[in-house]
Amino acid sequence: MRKVAIVGAGQSKYGEFPEKGIKELFFDAYKDMVASVDKGIDPKTIEAAYIGNLGSGGFQLGNMSALVCEYVGLPYIHTVRIENACGSGGYALVAAVMDVMSGNSKVAIAGGVEKMTDVSGTKQKYWLGVSGDTEYERLAGTTFSGLYGLIAHRHMHQFGTKREHLSMVAVKNHKNGAQNPKAQFQREITLEQAMKAPIVAYPLNLFDCCSTTDGASAVLVVDADIAKQFTDTPIYVTGFGTSSDYLAIHDRVDTCTLEGTRRASQKAYKMAGRTAKDIQLAEVHDCFTIAELLAYEDLGFCEKGKAGQFIEEGHTQITGDKPVNASGGLKSKGHPIGSTGTGQAYEMFNQLRGTVQKPARQVKGIERGLVHNVGGSGGTVAVSILER
Amino acid sequence: MNGMTVGISGYGSYVPRLRIKKEDYAAAWGSFSAAGVSEKAVMGLDEDVLTAATKVSRRALESVPLEGGVVSRFALASTSAPYVEKLLSGTVIVGAGISNGAFSSDHTTSTRAGTEALIAGFEHVMANPGGHALVAAADAPRASMWSPIEHGFGAGAAAFVLSSSNLIAELEGHASYATEHFGERFKVTEDELVHDLSVKKFFEASLVSNTTKAANALMKRLGRKPEEYQHVAIQQPDAKVPSSVGGKLMFGEPQLASALVSKSLGDLGAASTPVALAAALDVAKVGDRIMVISYGSGAGSDAISLKVVGDRKATPSVQAQIDKKEYINYVQYLKIKGAIK
Amino acid sequence: MAHVSIPMYWRTIPQRYKMLGQKCKKCGKVNFPPKGVCKYCNASSEFEELQLSGKGTVHTFVLIGAGGAPPEFADQEKAGGSYPVAVVELAEGPKVIGQMSDISPKDVKMGMGVKTELKKIYSEEGVIRYGFKFVPDQ
Repeated sequence: MRKVAIVGAGQSKYGEFPEKGIKELFFDAYKDMVASVDKGIDPKTIEAAYIGNLGSGGFQLGNMSALVCEYVGLPYIHTVRIENACGSGGYALVAAVMDVMSGNSKVAIAGGVEKMTDVSGTKQKYWLGVSGDTEYERLAGTTFSGLYGLIAHRHMHQFGTKREHLSMVAVKNHKNGAQNPKAQFQREITLEQAMKAPIVAYPLNLFDCCSTTDGASAVLVVDADIAKQFTDTPIYVTGFGTSSDYLAIHDRVDTCTLEGTRRASQKAYKMAGRTAKDIQLAEVHDCFTIAELLAYEDLGFCEKGKAGQFIEEGHTQITGDKPVNASGGLKSKGHPIGSTGTGQAYEMFNQLRGTVQKPARQVKGIERGLVHNVGGSGGTVAVSILER
Repeated sequence: MNGMTVGISGYGSYVPRLRIKKEDYAAAWGSFSAAGVSEKAVMGLDEDVLTAATKVSRRALESVPLEGGVVSRFALASTSAPYVEKLLSGTVIVGAGISNGAFSSDHTTSTRAGTEALIAGFEHVMANPGGHALVAAADAPRASMWSPIEHGFGAGAAAFVLSSSNLIAELEGHASYATEHFGERFKVTEDELVHDLSVKKFFEASLVSNTTKAANALMKRLGRKPEEYQHVAIQQPDAKVPSSVGGKLMFGEPQLASALVSKSLGDLGAASTPVALAAALDVAKVGDRIMVISYGSGAGSDAISLKVVGDRKATPSVQAQIDKKEYINYVQYLKIKGAIK
Repeated sequence: MAHVSIPMYWRTIPQRYKMLGQKCKKCGKVNFPPKGVCKYCNASSEFEELQLSGKGTVHTFVLIGAGGAPPEFADQEKAGGSYPVAVVELAEGPKVIGQMSDISPKDVKMGMGVKTELKKIYSEEGVIRYGFKFVPDQ
């Protein structure tokens, strides 16, 4: 099997853009990716594009990947839409890596795009509520906030995790996101603001929940043997792992564990020959604040039940010994569903090369990072390990 | 009547826990139109007459106890079912575990429907020795909030298992009277809300005429005198009608007391006499007699005479449920009844 | 746009109206709702039907406010305020999610005893969809 490197990465701004659809957003990301390739890239060498996307912008039910690819000047390649809910991007990355790893393609794009703000509030909820178990979870009256609320409440009940611990995640990520010019929300919030926000799905409040966002991202995945043709500082994908889980949380073995994260990360660590201790920066899937706390535990950064303590002790601040979501995470950066996973890879690419736009956010001197992307309430999870 | 004894072998009732007081109506409208009613019951947002009928059907079966699978006749009564066309019994049969092979009938076109269903059930067990019928009445009538008739509209349900053995009350007989009448309490096909033309004396006359004709015909046939009935359950569009009908039939206030559920629950439509009957059964003693007299606009009345022969009681009782309540105000009432468009 | 079709909803009536579960013939554990392969032993597709009691305890719950309600429940939340949803551990073993009813949100407690009752879930295309909700078991 071939070794795989990322030699370029781009991302559009994340936010609300009435003047842009999926084609224009993807083009923004694609242009940004092309510009980031130090020694340039001839688009004719791109053989494949794996595009993460959930809702097709609400209009292009089939063949949306062909549509966005031809729009950016790639009409005749191997392209496919990858869909695993919010984990689409992470799985697009894995698909591109597997393609190159197998020797089939030498140069591939892993990208994602989502347009969430075109449809009415009501229709949005029809979309968003469909990646949990529709038959039972949705018809019990929940969307994702409810499902993660069920998990958060159990975590608080079983482990004594406090309201403050949830809000600390929001505060940290907004602080980091304030230094991210591409983030949807670039302002800090206080712990008090985070704790007193209106209830959405008790115990979760408005500031425990990520927003709906438009955005796109793309990373250039190549055979390691030719990486230096593109840049002197490629970033290698040394390991990846994916796992599914029972879709409905009531079917799971443990309400407070995302088995998908646990198993995917174990597979990734094994492939990379690394352990949780070796990870120096993680971009994790904080669709809700509780999701970041679960990630600390299920990625092996701390013991099950101890995530509240872990954040309270400051380990996951940019200046801590286990920085998490230096980009601002989904909470502050935004969560354009299909793009989030490859957007995390975009951040990690820059962090590992020391090319993050604002120095306040740059985690210094790191060599090994992990990206963690979850579909919905954990039905699918993709983890990749990126190293200098 | 042939020699075969049939009657009630089990029963159950359901009163929703939400209530609204007459004072809240008076505050909104300046007055409250349902005489003698001091508060009434309101269905919650996620209930309707079919969920209520399912609930009382289960309670009735449990009170015997009897497996739903042996029921061969099911009859459902309501004037406020959610569908005008669709087999309503289907929902309740499946929800309450009644045999799919039972003959089922839906009775929906007047507040007499409850006794219509009961008599249909009695006829079935008379014709099918050893068989069992289940009859459920559930109602939550709706009218325009501008209409005085709306003030009394409450919500409730009761169900009865009818058999030829293991009885708590025997059927002594029944009689009916029906004739043409109109303008009182009606809905044409596309209406969700009950209309009433408020021709008060005209309607009172119909109610009194039909009910007294049916009840007198029954007592004459059975050779019974009014004083032989300890419990009299008369149709209750409000809490005063039983006194005026009862007075004409020579029933006194003490005889009406056990069944006067409208004081706390309002007008229960097709479930009015069924819930009143359940309330009477809750407190009746072996040897007591119960007279049930229904009335439906358009118009007709059934009278049913029962003799209590067993002391098995349903739980929870009607009174226990009346006592378990949560008050809502008039704005909440409007929201729940879907009156704010 | 995602929605549960009429036939799809109808197919779940044995679970929604009747609490019918499946007992795995191999390992004896109860699956509810049904699976193709037993989710406990992952080794058998042979089941016998089992009537569940509908009783259980609250394993965890959430209180859904306006921002958390799917469109089918938006009017319910507007008219009636926030509603509780629980994952209930049924007496026979499996856990299942369900909305709670006949209870004030402030009275819901972890571990409390509940039982199922038929309630209105929502309406779509003029058809009312009924199913179980959990009410306090006293």
